[in-house]
Amino acid sequence: MRNVILRVKERFVSISVIFVTAIFLTVFLLVEDELSFTVLMLVGGGLFYFVKRRDCFKEVIVFARQSRYGFLICIFLALLTVLIILRNEHFALFMIASVALYSTVCFGLTIQLGYAGLTNFAGAAFFGVGGYAIAVLSSENFPDILSVLTGGFMAALVGSVLILPILRTRGHYAALVTIAFALLFKTFLELNDTLGGPQGLKISSMNMFGWDFGKSFFGGSFYLNYVLFSLLVMVSIFTLTRLLEKSWIGLHWDALRIDEISSASFGINISSWKILAFTLGNFFIGLSGALYAKMLGHIAPTNFTFGDSLILISIVILGGIGNPWGVIPAAFLIIVLPEKLQFIQEYRLLLFALLVILVLLYRPDGLFKKALRSFYRGWGKV
Amino acid sequence: MCNFGSIDNKARSAYADRDSPVKMTPFVGGENMLNRGFLIFSFCLLVVGCSSEDGSAVKIGFIGPLTGGVSANGIGGRNSVDLAIKLANADVTKQYKYQLVALDDECKPNIGIQVATKAAADSSILGAVAHYCSAVAVGTVDVFHKFAMPMIVWGAVLPKITYGNDYPEVHRVNGTMINQNDVAAKFMVDLGYKTWAIIHDTTDYGKGHDKYFTESLEKYGGIVLGRFGVTADQQDFNAELTKIKALEPDVIYFGGITPIGVRVRTQMDRLNIPAIFQGTSGIISDAYIEGAGTLAEGTLAFREGDSAERLPGGKMFLAEYDRNNYSSPPEAYGPFAFAAANLLIDAIESEGPDRKKITSYLNKVRNYNSVIGKITFDENGQNMVPLITRFVVQDGKWKIWEMSEYADNIRSLNRQNPK
Repeated sequence: MRNVILRVKERFVSISVIFVTAIFLTVFLLVEDELSFTVLMLVGGGLFYFVKRRDCFKEVIVFARQSRYGFLICIFLALLTVLIILRNEHFALFMIASVALYSTVCFGLTIQLGYAGLTNFAGAAFFGVGGYAIAVLSSENFPDILSVLTGGFMAALVGSVLILPILRTRGHYAALVTIAFALLFKTFLELNDTLGGPQGLKISSMNMFGWDFGKSFFGGSFYLNYVLFSLLVMVSIFTLTRLLEKSWIGLHWDALRIDEISSASFGINISSWKILAFTLGNFFIGLSGALYAKMLGHIAPTNFTFGDSLILISIVILGGIGNPWGVIPAAFLIIVLPEKLQFIQEYRLLLFALLVILVLLYRPDGLFKKALRSFYRGWGKV
Repeated sequence: MCNFGSIDNKARSAYADRDSPVKMTPFVGGENMLNRGFLIFSFCLLVVGCSSEDGSAVKIGFIGPLTGGVSANGIGGRNSVDLAIKLANADVTKQYKYQLVALDDECKPNIGIQVATKAAADSSILGAVAHYCSAVAVGTVDVFHKFAMPMIVWGAVLPKITYGNDYPEVHRVNGTMINQNDVAAKFMVDLGYKTWAIIHDTTDYGKGHDKYFTESLEKYGGIVLGRFGVTADQQDFNAELTKIKALEPDVIYFGGITPIGVRVRTQMDRLNIPAIFQGTSGIISDAYIEGAGTLAEGTLAFREGDSAERLPGGKMFLAEYDRNNYSSPPEAYGPFAFAAANLLIDAIESEGPDRKKITSYLNKVRNYNSVIGKITFDENGQNMVPLITRFVVQDGKWKIWEMSEYADNIRSLNRQNPK
């Protein structure tokens, strides 16, 4: 016990930075009107400057590197606090779940774009495949947990149609193939009346092993169910993504991305590694698409336009290509910020675009640049 | 190294050396001051969070497309609701002060569900005037029902929104595309036209119009020569129009909204197609006339409800709208949004700030006088508007057919074949 107290004391600054950030985000999710938003931004800016001046962020990173479990427990407790404060705020919880699911989608895109170097401009289309798969399956009373998985498998399966053209093309041309698919997908849905046509499909709420997502969760909002499940999915897929990156699989992808020809001459089978990255990425995208559709309760083709694919890609770029850690804050920014700017109504997307440009101006490699692979502790140190 | 005293170089170099264990200075003495500053900051945050509540005013939500291709209509609707609230607040006989919460749905279902959740989950918002886009409204009615929030649709025309469910919360002041197309088909056949070519966008809006117009047209004896579905963001219609030119229809029926309406109309002219251009409620906007210019002359379109210009309340609405100097016009559905907002305000005045009571008040609305004529909700919450107003463009303005020079045979819709 004493040991724990001593350790907390030692890491007091890092812990308070984490908790203050959590409280800041909570308040950020709750503010509505112009005045509070502006004041909050000013206070946030001041805090940021204060923390940065004193190098506290670096210390948080040191904390994360040196005692990983302590750091994770800290994050977990901060998250728990946020959820307890927000337990009755339907909308804030809805936004948190959306951020978690969009982050999961972007882990899939990170595998494709950040690891294997495959540009996928059809992210929203695969997201939609997952959604439509679960919409059809839940109308057939298929068990929900299996439907969510099937959403992922369907996205991977539909993606396999694109494998051949993607393997035969490179760079911009491969990207063009995915753009064509994204456009085709939306038009197909609009013309296809068995899948609801342009009006889309209704989906019943999630229910698995007697856990009814439509009911309130221990007296809190029913969205709490979705938040918890989405966070669970996000954390599992994040862990999986990181493990893949650290393993020899990630090493192969790195080689492939940096130089196809030389990795081929070292005996790496380019096609099979590309297929693996593409299919696995689509599986993650479809999986979260299915969950997202369940949460929305209604999906329509206009949710999955080419523009939405660009939003997904921009999350990956803003977070720092290839760094799954960066994806989460970037998703938060891209999903929640336009929503928070609702008070300026028709000018909100304008201001949002300006803010994104500003961020990229000052951090051209995204919020958090991908670090070089370290093969063992202290790698690269002279 | 995070050091709340001075940041000395030694500490920095200690940080740079990652293998060396980081030594932390425990918090003692004068450093506590700065530490406190840190905590005060976070308290500020909490205060900001808590102070954002404003208990005195009653809130009314507005949801519509404020950005994107149909934003002109959304902004017109938003201004009209804003006007209704301003007038109510200026009226001393009203018990409550009203406040508008305007939300942008971007005409996308997922964003629509998001903002509808936001409005409906906020218990200080008593009711909503919501949705111009049908695909969005179809998705959000479930949300409004789930949170028991009374809502009135002000622009979306898909029948399913009111008839596809039995939610007591859902109402609609504008008519559906069924009535609109029935009147349109009869009117055009009576004018003596016989053959049609249909261009519709592949959204629910365009497809619905195609379906209901064709049904009505068959009833009245018109013939459809060809039918062309186009995507809502298509730029070039030469392929469709070339085929249509060969079919030589009397009329081109267009089921879609303003941006592609303008494109179809201008490209028709480029191909010298002499057919009459007949649109739907989706192109009744000043943006259409601005976009098509002089080519807009003689374009026909139909809309539910009486015209604001013909009603005493409507004239008042237009005059007040002008007086408040909004930067953009109310557009075709502004009066509907205005009427819906007034209905909601009257419901709150009579029943008090209680969502359930407001809902049951709205369900009992019969023969309510508004700027769009009388409003009577049927058991599905649908306004049974008997009247469809016919419009034609004359000299750069949407004119009511009966008041135009075309009705008096001073001008003719039939254009001379330019060749």
